[in-house]
Amino acid sequence: MTWEIVIGLEVHVQLETRSKMFCGCANVFGAPPNTNVCPVCLGLPGALPVPNAQAVKLGTQAALALGSTIHERSVFARKNYFYPDLPKGYQISQFDQPLATGGAVQIESPERGRISISITRLHLEEDAGKSLHDRIPGKTAVDLNRACAPLAEIVSGPDMRSPAEARAYLLALKQILVYTGVSECSMEKGSLRVDANMSIRRPGETRLGTKTEVKNMNSFANVERALEAEFERQVGLVESGKQVQQVTLLFNAAAGTVKPMRSKEESHDYRYFPDPDLPPLVLTAAWIEEQKASLPELPEAKRQRLITSHGLSAYHARELTLEKAMADYFESVVNAKAEPARAVGWVLRDVMAGFNEGRGFPVSAVRLAALIGLVKGGVLSDQAARRVYAEMSTSDESANVIAERLGLVQVGDSDALGQWVDEVLAASPSEVRRYQGGETKLIGFFVGQVMKKSGGKADPKKVQPLLIDRLKGLRGL
Amino acid sequence: MSGEAGKRGSGAATALETGARLAKAEPLNAVLNWSQDALDAEGTRVDAMTTRGPLHAVPIALKDNIVTAEQPSTCGSRILEGYTSPFNATVVNRLRAAGAMIAAKANMDEFAMGSSTEHSAYGRVKHPLDPSRVPGGSSGGSAALVAAGVVPVALGSETGGSVRQPASFCGVVGVKPSYGRVSRYGLVAFGSSLDCISVFGRTVEDATGVLSVISGHDPLEATSVDQAPMIPETGFKSLKGIRIGLPREYFPPDLHPGVRAATDRSIAALKALGAEVRDISLPHSRFAVPTYYILAPAEAAANLARFDGVRYGPRHIEPPDGDVRALYQATRGKGFGPEVRRRILVGTYVLSAGYYDAYYGKAQRMRALIADDFTKAFAPRGVHFLFTPTTPTPAFVAGEKSEDPVAMYLADIFVSAVSLAGLPAMSLPIGRDQGLPIGGQIIAPYFQEPRMLALAAALESVVPGTAEVRS
Amino acid sequence: MIGKEEVIHIAKLAELAVSDEELPKLAEQLARIVSFVEELNQAPAGETAPAYLAGPEMTPLRPDLVDPVPLSLSPAEIAPAFVDGFFVVPRLGAMEEA
Repeated sequence: MTWEIVIGLEVHVQLETRSKMFCGCANVFGAPPNTNVCPVCLGLPGALPVPNAQAVKLGTQAALALGSTIHERSVFARKNYFYPDLPKGYQISQFDQPLATGGAVQIESPERGRISISITRLHLEEDAGKSLHDRIPGKTAVDLNRACAPLAEIVSGPDMRSPAEARAYLLALKQILVYTGVSECSMEKGSLRVDANMSIRRPGETRLGTKTEVKNMNSFANVERALEAEFERQVGLVESGKQVQQVTLLFNAAAGTVKPMRSKEESHDYRYFPDPDLPPLVLTAAWIEEQKASLPELPEAKRQRLITSHGLSAYHARELTLEKAMADYFESVVNAKAEPARAVGWVLRDVMAGFNEGRGFPVSAVRLAALIGLVKGGVLSDQAARRVYAEMSTSDESANVIAERLGLVQVGDSDALGQWVDEVLAASPSEVRRYQGGETKLIGFFVGQVMKKSGGKADPKKVQPLLIDRLKGLRGL
Repeated sequence: MSGEAGKRGSGAATALETGARLAKAEPLNAVLNWSQDALDAEGTRVDAMTTRGPLHAVPIALKDNIVTAEQPSTCGSRILEGYTSPFNATVVNRLRAAGAMIAAKANMDEFAMGSSTEHSAYGRVKHPLDPSRVPGGSSGGSAALVAAGVVPVALGSETGGSVRQPASFCGVVGVKPSYGRVSRYGLVAFGSSLDCISVFGRTVEDATGVLSVISGHDPLEATSVDQAPMIPETGFKSLKGIRIGLPREYFPPDLHPGVRAATDRSIAALKALGAEVRDISLPHSRFAVPTYYILAPAEAAANLARFDGVRYGPRHIEPPDGDVRALYQATRGKGFGPEVRRRILVGTYVLSAGYYDAYYGKAQRMRALIADDFTKAFAPRGVHFLFTPTTPTPAFVAGEKSEDPVAMYLADIFVSAVSLAGLPAMSLPIGRDQGLPIGGQIIAPYFQEPRMLALAAALESVVPGTAEVRS
Repeated sequence: MIGKEEVIHIAKLAELAVSDEELPKLAEQLARIVSFVEELNQAPAGETAPAYLAGPEMTPLRPDLVDPVPLSLSPAEIAPAFVDGFFVVPRLGAMEEA
């Protein structure tokens, strides 16, 4: 029997503002518990919220980047529930009149190719504090430093049909939000959080099955794993004649399983109503247009431009745009007059390796362009240039100076090359015999040996003809 | 302040005099917290001020739902017993900067829910003229302190008439400003869309002086109107050209005869001053009390959710080894008194799944219709002010309405509509019936407090009211 | 109409302990209040209006500056239970959640 999976995701992202959503506390993490707090985020009697302009701006930019429609009038509402880390007994969120609705994210589905995942809505809200359950035995410890931090909640349509699509959606969404500069979007750091809704149904069925909600995933990979586990669980239930109950499940990353939370005594009844402390959020069409115009280039547009104006392959364009910083660096290198075809190789290889190790961009784009220019001009071999690059990462010297200092400038004069070639051939009599016996692919071996002997200085383009010439001459002996 | 409250000497002397009066007034139970030490400290502070502020050395009482960092703020509730706020309300900072001395925290109906100050967890407040009667509420402590001459001015708060009604009962001036005119930052929220810090004074002039100091935009509040502090208007020389509406719904056939007689005298006085008096209608005002008792409890249920025993205030856990719900339910169950519990439950009910449209949604629409009646009345060619009785009866006897919550709610029948509309309104003494004060209500268009106060001053000068109570 | 069952339900939503003894009277009072506010149903039909705002028509926005209102008492000084910098509550029990 086959089943179709239906997945929709609710993603919360922390907006990168200086201060919190509704108060003047710093929007930072890592302070000692309950030190980054004020009357508003402690929910003290008499304190009142005032929304942060920058949070509204970032939320609007995020929504515009997702192609959503921004509503000129939206309303903050109180979502009422009791929880120890929710200081006021309600969360200020948006309900029936959110900041934005509609929009879509394009993804590459492993199963279905290029598809579009719809965005239902994006709204602004405040974060809760943190409850720590294991810190004090039998008790829950509450830290309100995070309370009132600005969040955007982004709700997708139930458009994903596999856990892999869910992961692809999250990657694409993260990429857009990072490009827009609204959020760091790190699941590990908690600046992006995912609640997944899943149901199953027979292929061809149009009604949705009973959905469950899966929480507690801390990486995109774990979202995929959790959804796979939940799919197995739901199929197991239905195929054994049971029904899927509408429950919330927690993912256990160590065990790779999902487990229903202890069922609540009350079904949720959040008693939303407009927050009387906050008049409607009103934005002008002109301001919204301004935000739209100020959006940075988004990943999709950047990929297209890299292909059309720099002649990159689709593969290289995709790899480069995975990280906005990488794509931006590449463009700076090209702007500093490096040949794009050479630059992309450098960026995706040496530069990315360092970046992935957390070393950032130690060599400025201009310096790298100069290095690439030396390779193009035949001054350095590719191999030598990589050594120079490694040196450049830890020094301010130019590529030229380092190459000279290390004696890596390519040697092209035939006397010196001839010397190395003769030495190599003399030292490899058996290879010479095999070459002469018809194994001509051994030419690569000889070239390598010469390069090694020269310490990378020999110009390989000149070494090869010289070798062939000498090997011909040896045959006559 | 050039009235009675302005004739002050040193802060130290004021502290001593005020302390003596507070001690003498203890039988009223109008105060929840005061101390001579705190008063003396206030006196020393204002004496050290280099400039003499407009409220220099004026002692003022604050309703206990206005938070102060120097003394506890309990809101008349057990759930905040012993709680001291780590910050001052904006109005407190403004009063102190103007030279006023915070003299006492006044008793009140718990969380401002009530019309008699019988719902305080710390005992009822007695009417200064007749201890068997109530001073009105919920700001009954503030009203009683001003009426008894303990302080010349006091702050109360209004959600649905909680200053005008006790002002009327106690024979003092009570001014509710336009919603958004005075900062709510530091006023413990009851019904956020209705709450207004309001002023009691023995005279219109004194109340005006305080309102001028505490009004004005506050960036800490999103519902604060972006306007400079109020500048009082000089009094009317004559009321010629002033049109005053008498909404017929506020003069029902069964209106208390003493109240009717007093309002008739005031109307005659207004006419004698040259005002044109018109019969008008506010047809939706009759729905104001039920509308109010949906919206205010709904907002209150959410506003009072923060009192959960987690971060501040006393805590109870029942059973002692129970989970966090045992903490919530016991803390809130023991901490809130009966009227607060009723309102939290009603407010929770009207917002709960399936009922929102039938109650909250309907009340929101009715609120707009009620407000629209006022807009029409104040339209060009309409009237400039409205005049009504503040309450249907003089102060009632304690216990009379405490068994029937709805009977208590109806004590606010003439004051609720204005709160829903967010308009400025005030009560001033316009006479007595069998020794008990009667209040007249003036209602003005949005942000027209200066003219309203000027009209009240004109009426005050010709109608025996305050002076009589004072004697 | 609001009855005992309903009162128990909303008391749970509001996290208010209601004892068995007080339940009948409370239910009766709430029923009286609810039927009172239902007088709104007598309002003439067909009259509608958008939600009314007494104050500003739109929210002001705060500049994104770090500028908290200072606390004259620390969380530790106001909390009923505070350990190692944390507010402390009993275990979550039935509310348990990640």
